[in-house]
Amino acid sequence: MNILIIEDEARIARRLQRMTLEFFGNTPTQISVCDSLQKGLDHILDDNPDLLLLDLNLNGDDGFQILEKMVAASFHTIVVSANIDKAITAFAYGVLDFVPKPFDQDRLSKALTRFVSPKLKPDGGIKYLAVKTAGQVRLISIADVIYIKGAGIYTELHLHNGKPQLHDKSLELLQQLLPDRFERIHKSYLVNIEQAERIIVNPGTRYSLLLRTGEVLPVGRSKYKELKLRII
Amino acid sequence: MHTLLFFFTFLNWLNTHVIIRNESALPVYKVGDNETWAAKSFNDKDWSAIRDNTASQIFWSRTHLDLHQVENVLLPLGLQIEAFGAFEVYWDGVFIGRNGQIPMKGKPEIPGTERSYYSIPDSLIKPGIHVVAMRSSQSLLPDVQRSIAFKIDRYTNLLTRPLITMAYMNLMAGAFLIAAIYYFFLYLNSKRRQSDILIFGTICLLFFALLIMEYLKFHVTIPYPEFFTRLEVIGWLTFVNALLVPLYFIIQFNFKKGLWLMLILLLTLLLMYGSNYHHYDLTARLYSLAMFVTAFIVVLNGIVQREKGGLIVLAGLLISALVNRFLVYDYGLFISFTIIVLCMLYLHSIRASVIEAEHQNALLLSSRLQLELLKKNIQPHFIRNTLTSMMDWVEESPKEGARFIQVLAAEFDIMNEISAQTLIPLSKELELCRQHLSVMGFRKEINYIWEQADIDETQLIPPAVIHTLLENGITHSAPLPENTIKFILYYSVSKDAYQYIFETVAKNRPVMTGRAGGNGFKYIQARLTESYGDKWAFTSGATETGWKSTIQISIK
Repeated sequence: MNILIIEDEARIARRLQRMTLEFFGNTPTQISVCDSLQKGLDHILDDNPDLLLLDLNLNGDDGFQILEKMVAASFHTIVVSANIDKAITAFAYGVLDFVPKPFDQDRLSKALTRFVSPKLKPDGGIKYLAVKTAGQVRLISIADVIYIKGAGIYTELHLHNGKPQLHDKSLELLQQLLPDRFERIHKSYLVNIEQAERIIVNPGTRYSLLLRTGEVLPVGRSKYKELKLRII
Repeated sequence: MHTLLFFFTFLNWLNTHVIIRNESALPVYKVGDNETWAAKSFNDKDWSAIRDNTASQIFWSRTHLDLHQVENVLLPLGLQIEAFGAFEVYWDGVFIGRNGQIPMKGKPEIPGTERSYYSIPDSLIKPGIHVVAMRSSQSLLPDVQRSIAFKIDRYTNLLTRPLITMAYMNLMAGAFLIAAIYYFFLYLNSKRRQSDILIFGTICLLFFALLIMEYLKFHVTIPYPEFFTRLEVIGWLTFVNALLVPLYFIIQFNFKKGLWLMLILLLTLLLMYGSNYHHYDLTARLYSLAMFVTAFIVVLNGIVQREKGGLIVLAGLLISALVNRFLVYDYGLFISFTIIVLCMLYLHSIRASVIEAEHQNALLLSSRLQLELLKKNIQPHFIRNTLTSMMDWVEESPKEGARFIQVLAAEFDIMNEISAQTLIPLSKELELCRQHLSVMGFRKEINYIWEQADIDETQLIPPAVIHTLLENGITHSAPLPENTIKFILYYSVSKDAYQYIFETVAKNRPVMTGRAGGNGFKYIQARLTESYGDKWAFTSGATETGWKSTIQISIK
């Protein structure tokens, strides 16, 4: 387990580190601490973590620009911040949790539990997916996403405008962040169920899903029953 | 309102009855003294049209007036004579009155006044030619050639009409006197001693004096030798007003080359005075013309510069110029002056409301700054981070945690104490800074070092200004390798300024985004403006060893 903490107050950074180690117990866990955003960004370039605990002064637009960069990355981000009035916006950007300062072991453990249990969704609603294109980070509205296809360690977002976008997060991580209407119909497909037209039954008990756009996606055998219930 | 009343008087004046057919009839003169020269039938064909210098001799004048038919309602008739000297008046040979006393039996002349009134016997007003014979002397101004002017009207009208006019004029004069006194008091009691208020007060006072002087002849009997003195005084009052009115507009409308314009105006007025010496009415007209031209230049320039009230004043000036052009000087000047003074009052009220708004804004700024100061310690970034560290200290070492709580409480106490003030002793500010460093030391676990040099602790400073610089220093600096950040405050006084230099010795954190220091600097600048107006300078920038901010406050 590789965890990065970005926090400029030494005392709080040590607290986060101690509590995180306590949470993971016997699991081998490596924790790095950076005391500035710049150092954090440099660190990420060298060594991609599995989880980021981010202290961000979210007062002002610039805080959110940094946040966009972080949530576009391949790992989950948990924000630990004093600006509690910005929690809703942080969730909209796609953070796994927002831990308000001051925090105790229980609150931090709750956030870390989300990280280790992919079934647990964030408390707040995500509104955008941040994607990196040509070095820039762009926000894509969730409403524009029709389905997402797994492509190795990346994913491909298929949008209403017809132009697929690559995202750095895996299908599993995105599924955890996205609302329930995004249904996993296949090990490589996550579909916005509102975009589904009907299920097509092919010869040889093979199933596929016809989308409103006319596209046809394969449906995994084990997913069929659940999908059928949701569509009817 | 005055203007309106005035206008009615003016109409009333137009309504006077024409009784003399040949109003511009000229007198003929003869030096000598003979009682038969009073007779209507006397033949004066060989008399001279010119009086010449009559020294202290007695001379006679005869004027033939041609009367219209007179209605009974106008009776008894009165004769108004405008003439210099002392004289006895005969109407068709009948003595009807005297003005002053001509020299008699070695006694010198007692001068008459310039304008005098006589009742004409009802029996002697048949239509046709009548003769006014005057037995006169003019020994006090013997060389002044001034013709004699006659006017006939109902006797009571002649006496009361000037008084009615004067009543209106006094009404106006009283208003100007009150305005003058008010603005002088305003000037004396104002801390700022604005010159425009003084000028306006002076204009009102001069205008009051002008009105009184103009109608002085109805208050007191002025002997004819002093007739020109009054005109001279009126001339100079108009002269000064013609200078002050444009000056007032120059100040109000921020006219750039005001000094030059005033010099040109002064020279023009002096030139007018010199070249028309003793033509009193003409000079006064020229003065007001010069004043109007200058005022128009200033006001038009003000409109181009988009000064407040420009258009209204221009309209006022135009109306006032028209009034001045189309009414007789006596009335026109005063009506037009009144309009101008009303314009000035209007400008003044605009100015007063601007000052009031500025004052309100200053109050608003002060309360906003007070709020800003109080917010420093309850804004989430400060309070929540502090509380998080505090939780950690309490969990790890309750004793240290308790100490932490105490230093935080001390910082809160000082903040609370200074928040309502605009200036605090430097010692308080330094105490605040030291408490803040203790709090931040617990939080960041960096070894903060505070140094100060040549500090005069009795000096006053706006609250939390150094504190804000300290906060910026803490936020934007990374510690040196030995985990220290040093802050140094220097103080120095020179002949015309005192100066604070606040230095942070540390590594500057790279600036990722453009938000560095924005709000903090705004707070410092607003505080300095609040207490020192524009007499301060603030600079802040990176140095090789960290960061340096300088606050200079000029003493002058």
